[in-house]
Amino acid sequence: MMKHSVIITPEHVLVDGNPLMHNEKGSALLTELYRNHIGDYPKFFKMDTLSKLGFIASELLLNIEGDRDFEPREDRAVIFFNRSASLQADTHYQSTIQDPEHFFPSPAAFVYTLPNIVTGEIAIRNKYFGETSFMVIDDYDEQIIMKNLKNAFQDPITKSIIGGWVECSDEEHFEAKIFLMEK
Amino acid sequence: MDELIYTLKQQIIEALNLEDMKPEDIDENASLFGEGLGLDSIDALELIVMMEKNYGIKLQDPAKGKEIFKSVAVMADFIAKNRTK
Repeated sequence: MMKHSVIITPEHVLVDGNPLMHNEKGSALLTELYRNHIGDYPKFFKMDTLSKLGFIASELLLNIEGDRDFEPREDRAVIFFNRSASLQADTHYQSTIQDPEHFFPSPAAFVYTLPNIVTGEIAIRNKYFGETSFMVIDDYDEQIIMKNLKNAFQDPITKSIIGGWVECSDEEHFEAKIFLMEK
Repeated sequence: MDELIYTLKQQIIEALNLEDMKPEDIDENASLFGEGLGLDSIDALELIVMMEKNYGIKLQDPAKGKEIFKSVAVMADFIAKNRTK
């Protein structure tokens, strides 16, 4: 059963289908949402755009529920899908090692060269110890996404899932369509 | 030394993406890790890269970072004595 949903594009933010007011667009929109609706997690500024997107979307989603106690739990999974994996972070990291004369691999950039880091960021923030996974598929496909999420409920532990599509091809092109689902 | 400390604070803010901070917010004698700025192990690696990039200092023994990164003032002192650029 789907309980809540959040959609973020470079120009629009919908929380449970209702538009959320904002002034900025693109990556500046994510920073605006952080400052206006979160604000207590400075690690946000160190994340790559994919992680920022997933993090902000999950925060807006969890804020709908209210009563965020941050108590450790293992009955909630975080399962995302996208098309571009962490290509933007990979490209950025490559730029730090491209020139043999200026070979300065950035550890902070390297950390984000895996798409599943975004699910890890959300799990760490909320103290979730359940399943976390990030699957890369050809394109947005609701059938594939729902099938995989339903499969995740087969285990005896998972009772709810933050799941959906978190795609980012670069700082100005991204889309999150995520939801909170219960067994 | 004051100029180096100020520049170093700017470089730390830039290298570590401490977006909400200004050089004036960093106490040069406060601890960089733990209670002070609250940096983590990835930040430590980033500082090692930053010292090599900006000052030509290659830290051969990463364990030495623990002493060097004690505070901005200690770091500036180390850079002043060991910089090659």
